[in-house]
This record gives sequence, C-alpha cells and structure tokens, in this order.
Amino acid sequence: MIYITEEQLDLPGLLAASHHPGAGAVVLFSGEVRDNNVGKKVDYIEYESYAPMASKMMNQIMEDARQRWDLQIAVAQHRIGKVKISESAVVVITASAHRSEAYASNRYIIDRIKHEVPIWKCEYFADGTSVWGGNCNCHTETGDLNKHIYESENG
Amino acid sequence: MKIEVFAALKNYFSKEFEITEQLETVADLRQHLKNINPSSSQLINMCRFVVQEDLVTDAHPLLSNDHVVVLPPSSGG
Repeated sequence: MIYITEEQLDLPGLLAASHHPGAGAVVLFSGEVRDNNVGKKVDYIEYESYAPMASKMMNQIMEDARQRWDLQIAVAQHRIGKVKISESAVVVITASAHRSEAYASNRYIIDRIKHEVPIWKCEYFADGTSVWGGNCNCHTETGDLNKHIYESENG
Repeated sequence: MKIEVFAALKNYFSKEFEITEQLETVADLRQHLKNINPSSSQLINMCRFVVQEDLVTDAHPLLSNDHVVVLPPSSGG
C-alpha cells in the first residue's frame, strides 16, 4: 500500500476500491486544508515527512487497527508537498460489518497518524509569514515523548 | 556522526551536518545540540531520535559513524 505520496489524493478512486460484500459500513475521513488558523488567513500548507519511517509506522498502525477490530478494508494515505485550500492532506477509509467498528477504527487510525507518524506541516499565511505548526505536545502531560493522548480515548 | 533534521529544526540547524565530538549517548547529543544553538532548546527537548532507522531512547549509546535523525513532534493531518 502507498502511504505517503506527493500526488493529489484520489478520494473517489480510493472510496470506489473500498466496497466489500462483508462490509455494511464504510467510513471515509478526509483531513483537508482550512483557509484559516489562529485567526490568520491561510494560503496553503506544505507537508514534509521522514518517508521511510512514516510508511513503516503507518503500516504498523493499520496492522494494529486490524488486530483490534474486524475490518474488511483499512486504507490510509498522507500527501506531502504543497496542499491547497480544501484539498485533502490525509485520507483514512475503514470498512466493517457494522458502523461502530468502522467509526472507531477510523478515528483510532487518524489519531495515531497525527500524533506519532513523522509528518509535519508548515502553514503559509496570506500575510507572507509561515510557521511549522500544530505540534503534538502530549509529553507535557504524559511525561514521555512516545506516550500520547488520543481524542478517541476521551470521547 | 551524521545528523539529519526535519521541519522546524531547519530553522535552527542545517538540514544535514556532521558532529565530530565524541558523544556517548542520545542524551549527550540532545545536550550538544542545545549547546550549539541554545534557542533550539525548547524544541530539542520535545524531539525524538532515530538511529539506523529505529526510534531510540536517551540512554541509547552512539557510535561515531551513526546516522542520527532528529524528529520534532509530529504535526501531520
């Protein structure tokens, strides 16, 4: 599976390939570039990754999700390079017999991608400034750089 | 040893550079990087370190020919 790509994410194509006779529920999450952040107008976001490790970690996250839930389909891709407003930077698709597993596993996968996988965003603002941003700072609460707090575990 | 940095760390260091000082552990390297550029300290404290493509702890011993990758906290998605 391709986990990291410089190409535009093909959401319709990925969804079309995610139907399964045993799946009554398909969930697609698309993380898209918003035109504003911290009160400033955003022009675009540029993503960078440490690709060999990022792919390996995403593969492990998918394996872990398949261990925890009975999934017919589990797909994730993250785009790197310049991503424009309303374009998808990351997509996660999960399919299972019933919706609870598809929703839960999808959220688990995106949470872990955001916190653990070595991918970084640099936001470029309309005023000409840019900032590497949105860093995971879970360790300030967990005391360990490898322990994270996931939204999906906090309702 | 060869050091490679990513993302916000490039505001403080070259993308790739060599360190010739003898450093015993990742903890020593963390401190050394802070000494080279004190304004990077807050970020360096939050970074994870990779040696030969594996995440390692601060106690991990370093060899002079290691390739060390320094990862700031993730901000994907």
